[in-house]
Amino acid sequence: MKKTKWSLIALLLSVLLVLAACSGGDDEPKTEESDETSSEDTTKGEPTSENSGDLFEMAVTHEGEPIEGGTLQVAMVADSPFQGIFNWELYEDNYDSTLMEWTTNELFETDENFMITDKGIATLEVDQENKKATVKIREGVKWSDGEPLTIEDVILPYHIIGHKDYTGIRYDSEFQNIIGAEEYHAGTADTISGLKKIDDHTLEISFKQVSPSINYGGDGLWTYAAPAHQIADIPVGELVENDAVRKNPVTLGAFKIDKIVPGESVSYVRNEHYWKGVPKLDGVVVKVVPSSSISVAIGSGEYDIVQSFSATKMPEIQDFDNITILGRTELAYTYLGFKVGKFDTVEGKVVTDMEGSKMGNQQLRQAMGYAIDVEQVSEVFYDNLRERANSLIPPVFKAFYDDELAGYTYDPEKAIALLDEAGYEDVDGDGFREDPNGQPLEIKLASMASDATAEEIVSFYLQNWADVGLNVTLTTGRLIEFNTFYDMVEADDPEIDIFMGAWGTGTNPSPSGLYGDADPFNFSRYTSEELQSAITAIDSAEAFDTEYRAKQFKAFQEHIEEVATTIPMQFRYEIFPVNKRVKNFSIDYANEYKYHLHELELVAEEPIAN
Amino acid sequence: MWKTIVRRFLIMIPQLFVLSLIIFILAKNMPGDPFTGLITPQTDPARIVELTEKAGLNDPWYVQYMRWVGNAFQGDFGLSYTYKRDVADLIGERALNTFWLSLLSVLLLYLIAIPLGILAGRYQNSRLDKTIVMYSFVTYAIPTFVLGLIFLFLFGYKLEWFPTSGSVDVQYDPGTFSYFWNKIYHIVLPSITYAILGTTGIIQYLRSEIIDAKAMDYVRTARSKGIPMRKVYSKHIFRNSLLPIAAFLGFTITGLLGGSIFIETIFGYPGMGELFVSSILSRDYSVITALVMLFGFLALLGSLLSDIIMSIVDPRIRIE
Repeated sequence: MKKTKWSLIALLLSVLLVLAACSGGDDEPKTEESDETSSEDTTKGEPTSENSGDLFEMAVTHEGEPIEGGTLQVAMVADSPFQGIFNWELYEDNYDSTLMEWTTNELFETDENFMITDKGIATLEVDQENKKATVKIREGVKWSDGEPLTIEDVILPYHIIGHKDYTGIRYDSEFQNIIGAEEYHAGTADTISGLKKIDDHTLEISFKQVSPSINYGGDGLWTYAAPAHQIADIPVGELVENDAVRKNPVTLGAFKIDKIVPGESVSYVRNEHYWKGVPKLDGVVVKVVPSSSISVAIGSGEYDIVQSFSATKMPEIQDFDNITILGRTELAYTYLGFKVGKFDTVEGKVVTDMEGSKMGNQQLRQAMGYAIDVEQVSEVFYDNLRERANSLIPPVFKAFYDDELAGYTYDPEKAIALLDEAGYEDVDGDGFREDPNGQPLEIKLASMASDATAEEIVSFYLQNWADVGLNVTLTTGRLIEFNTFYDMVEADDPEIDIFMGAWGTGTNPSPSGLYGDADPFNFSRYTSEELQSAITAIDSAEAFDTEYRAKQFKAFQEHIEEVATTIPMQFRYEIFPVNKRVKNFSIDYANEYKYHLHELELVAEEPIAN
Repeated sequence: MWKTIVRRFLIMIPQLFVLSLIIFILAKNMPGDPFTGLITPQTDPARIVELTEKAGLNDPWYVQYMRWVGNAFQGDFGLSYTYKRDVADLIGERALNTFWLSLLSVLLLYLIAIPLGILAGRYQNSRLDKTIVMYSFVTYAIPTFVLGLIFLFLFGYKLEWFPTSGSVDVQYDPGTFSYFWNKIYHIVLPSITYAILGTTGIIQYLRSEIIDAKAMDYVRTARSKGIPMRKVYSKHIFRNSLLPIAAFLGFTITGLLGGSIFIETIFGYPGMGELFVSSILSRDYSVITALVMLFGFLALLGSLLSDIIMSIVDPRIRIE
C-alpha cells in the first residue's frame, strides 16, 4: 500500500511537471530571424515616413492629468547584451542606435515621405546644377554640456568616416561621391576638399554626382553632428574604445546619458540645453529584457514602452488591458529568389543566363509564385502580423509603392495551367513533373534556419509545390545557418536553384544596390536593359521630379513582377506595446516620437499593471 | 609532489598549443566572416572587401595563426570584431559577472546537496530517503529554462521578491555598498535555479558511498569499539564518502568561469556562456579563440587541482 501511494504521487508530480514545462515552453526564447533582422536592418538613415498600419493605432491617446517629471521605463527586448558604441559614425548594432535615439545627434528631420524638411537643427539646400549642397545649422543650439553647436561639429563626422583608420562600413562608394573623400582616405590630403566652411553656421559640400536621393540623406550626405570639442583631438583609430564614445558622449537630443551598466541598461536625464525646450520627463531608463520574460513583464506593468518586441509574441499580450499596442509596417520584405545567372567577380557584373539555368523558364517561376500559400502562413503562423507582399517596395513608401500591382497570390490552378503550358509534365508517372525535355526536375531550395516554426513553414511550402507537381527539396537537406546561407547564395552555389531571403530597405527604397547589373547583392543574377534603365532612371537627375521618379519605380516593380526572378513574399508589422500611463507617443513616421521626446508625459506615478 | 606539479604545468604548453591550432583552423573554416552580418542593401561590397583585407582575413590561415600566436604571447588577444573592444577587457568583464554567479551557485549547490546526500544514505530506504531520491530525479529531469522561467514568473513577477533581469540596477554607483548589495540581490534567483538543478550527481554519489561505507569493516570496528553511531558517521564515514566529490572539486572550481547560456539568457545576465555562443554566431574570431584557450587551460588546471585535492583528502593517494 505504502508503495502505491508514493508512485501515485510521483505520477502526479511528473504530470504537473509536464504541464509546467508546456506553459514554460511557450515563453522559450525565440530567435525569430533575429540574425536576419539585426544584420540587415542596420540602416544608415533613420526611418521616417507615413505608413499604412491599418491593423493598429499609431499613436497613444491616453487621457489623464500628467504628473510632474517622472521617469520613463523602457524595455528593449534582446537576448544578448548591447555593444555600447554611442556614436553615429561608429556604431554597428541596431540596439545601439535604438539607445542613441534618446540622445540623438540628428541634424535633419524628415517628413512622411522620408524627405529632409527644414524643421530640424539644420536645413539642406541642393544646387543641382553645380552639384553642391548647402547645410545651414540653427543658431543658438547647444550640446548637452552647454557648448554651442558649430559648423565644425557638422564637418567632423566626414573626417571620421573618411579617415584611413576608420574601420566602420560607412566609408563606401556613396561617401566617395564627396569630392576629395578618396584623396583624404588615401592619406594624400589632410582634409576633404569638397567640404567648404562658409561661416560658423554654414557648410557647402561638393559632390561628383547629385541625385534625388540626397533629399533622403543619400549621395554621401551625412545627417548627424559629432561633438568636435569633445572628440576632435582623439585619433580616429582609438575613438571606438574611448570613454567619449563608450561612457559619456556629449549629445544634442532631449535626454543625455547619465549612467550605463555595460550591455544591460542605460539611464538618461533630461538635457536642460535641448534646443526645442526642456523635456517634461525627469529621465528615462532603458533596460535589456530577455524575450522569454517580456510578455509577463508587460503584463505586470514593469515597463512603459517596449522596443524591438517580436511580433510573434502578439498572442501573449493582446488581452492585457494595461497597454495600447501600436503597430506599423516595417521597412522590409521577404522574398523568393530564383538563380538565373552568375556573378562575374573579375568584371564585377551580373551575367544572366536564362537558357542555361534550371530556373530560366519564366512560366515555371511564375507558377512557383502562385503555388505557395503565403496567405495561410501569414494567418496561421504570424497572426496576420505579416501579409502577402505584392511588391519589392514596402507600402510605407507611399509615393513609390504601387498598390495596384497584382503580385502573386495563392492560385494553384493557375500554377498548374502555367506549368502545363510551359511543357513541364509528369512523363514517368511518379507524381512529379519532368522538365520540357523529359528530364527529371529537382529544384533545390535554400532557406535560413531560425526559430522552431521556420522548419514547419518551409515544409508547408514544399508541400504546396508538391501539390502542383514540383519536386522541391532543401539544399543541404536542412535549413541553413544565417552566415552559411548568405555565403552560399552570394557565391552562386550550384546546389541552390531558389532561395528565401529578406531585405531591410532603410529609408531609401531605391533598387540600386540590390537589382543593378553590377551589384553582388543582386542574388538572383537577373539583369536586362529594361530593368537597368528603370534603376538608372530612378536615381537620375530627372528624378528630382517626384512624379517622374514614381513612374520609374512603377516600371521597376512591374518589370520584376513580370519576369518573376524575385517574387515578394511578405511584408511585416512591427509592434510597440505602450503602457497606458504614457502620453504623446507616436510611431507614425510622419510625426514620429523621436522628434517629440521632450513632450512625452506620464499620467501616473508607476506603470499600470494588468 | 612539487616536481609533479611543475611537470604538469610544462605539459600544458604543448597541449594548449595543439588546442589553439585546432580551434584556429576550425574557426577559420566556418562559413562567413565577421563582416557577413553587416550587409545591408546600402552596404558597398567594395568596402567589405577593403575591411576584410585590412583585418588580414585574406591571408592564409598559418600566416594569421602566427600573427595571433605572436600577439598572444605578449598578452594581446586582439580586438573583438563585434564589440570593438580589447578581448581581454571584454572577457574580464563577463568573467567577473559569471564568477560571482557561479560562486554563489556552487555554494548553494553544496549546501543543498551534501546534507541531502548524507541523510539519504544514512536513512536508506526510509521515507525521507525516497523523497530525496525522488527530488533528485525530478530536478535532473527538468530542463534549466523551464525551472528558470517558472522561478522568474513566480518569485520575480508575481511575488516580486527578486529582480527579473540584469546584473545590477543602473542607478547605483560602482564601488558603493548598495551597488555591491544590489549585485548580490540580482544573482540570488539565478543561483538558486542553478543549484537546485545541479544537485543530482552529488546526492547520488554521496548516498551510494555512504551506503557502501556502512557495510565496511572499519565501520564495524569503530562500532565494536563503542563509538556512538553519530560520531561514526561524522568522523569515519563522511570523510571517506566525500572522496568522489573531492575528485570533482578541481573541475568545479575552474568551471566557475564557464557560465550557462540558459541561465544567462533567461535572467538577462551578461556572462561567459552568452559571450561564447554569440561570438561563434557572429564569427568574432578573436573572442572565440581566446575563450576556447581559456576554457582549455581551465580544464587542464581543473584536473591538476583535483589530483592535488585528492592527495590531500586521501593520504593513500600520492601524485608521482
